[in-house]
Amino acid sequence: MFCDEALDLVESIADGELTPEGRVAAHLATCPNCAAALDSARRLEQALRARPVPRAPARFTARTMTILRRRRWRSEQFLDVGFNLALGVVALAVVGGVVVLLNRAGVTSIGNGAMDVMSGGVMRLARRAAPAVPVYAGATALLAAALGIWWWAEKEI
Amino acid sequence: MFDPVHERELVERCRRGDEGAFEELVDRYKDLVFALIARTVQDKSRAEDLAQDVFLRIHRGLPYFRGEARLSTWIYRIVANVCVQNQARPALATTTVSLDDERTGERHTPSAVDRGFRDFELRDRLEKAVARLPANARLLVAAHYLDGVRYEELAEALGLPLGTVKTQLYRAKQQLRRLLETELK
Ligand SMILES: [Zn+2]
Repeated sequence: MFCDEALDLVESIADGELTPEGRVAAHLATCPNCAAALDSARRLEQALRARPVPRAPARFTARTMTILRRRRWRSEQFLDVGFNLALGVVALAVVGGVVVLLNRAGVTSIGNGAMDVMSGGVMRLARRAAPAVPVYAGATALLAAALGIWWWAEKEI
Repeated sequence: MFDPVHERELVERCRRGDEGAFEELVDRYKDLVFALIARTVQDKSRAEDLAQDVFLRIHRGLPYFRGEARLSTWIYRIVANVCVQNQARPALATTTVSLDDERTGERHTPSAVDRGFRDFELRDRLEKAVARLPANARLLVAAHYLDGVRYEELAEALGLPLGTVKTQLYRAKQQLRRLLETELK
């Protein structure tokens, strides 16, 4: 019965957290079973303390820093691609905007314009398109600016 | 591990993107991290990769590291995560070293065995017995017997009460004693 109690304390006695006193000390002195357990706990303690400490291999720091730099370079490349994609989206939006503006200006797409051509209304088409010329010019300038920024960003990186 | 003021300065420099500061951090903690991992993982050949993984995580996490905890405590937590995740890999989880298989070999009678050989044998058996403990117990045993790792820091890192850490450690040692019954006599 008391053996159970004593055995529970064996590890803390062995690692020096607890000093056996009174009943416990008396039991350990008289019970060969518990005394043997304490003995083996002490031996285990010694063995655990004597375990060789593995050391980081030579050039561990240098290798880790190389991996880190490579990772960072890769994430920068990824940012690059992201930036290009974002610019692409902007350019697409500009083109889309031009198309919408053309429609709003009444030059209702080439599809409808073709009907006019078929009906011999070329002059009428030109007349209708004329007020939209500044819009064309503006849209072209916007597109050129977007492409310009793209080219500049590519060159910088 | 080293003085808190210097530690805070080092962390601050790392956070500002000072590569030299991070290199210093790696240099300071590499042996501790490597020892903890090499003693904890089953597959020792992966120890370097995992230790590097720990430092990459530290680097990634530095912007979010608040100075409330000690740097070392935070590092133990990352080591614990890396070890446990590594343990969760199915290929490794099934790898257990069997002591019993090796015990069937011819045994020397204690009187015929000299002390040096017994120590050597115990060391070998001890590593195999430790390998049979669950990953968290291996980490506790590894850390407790490394210089500079305090119980309190471990408890904080693992998010466990101090008493639980001690109980788990005692239980692990009881298990080791059972596994090494013959060798410890
Ligand atoms: Zn007893």
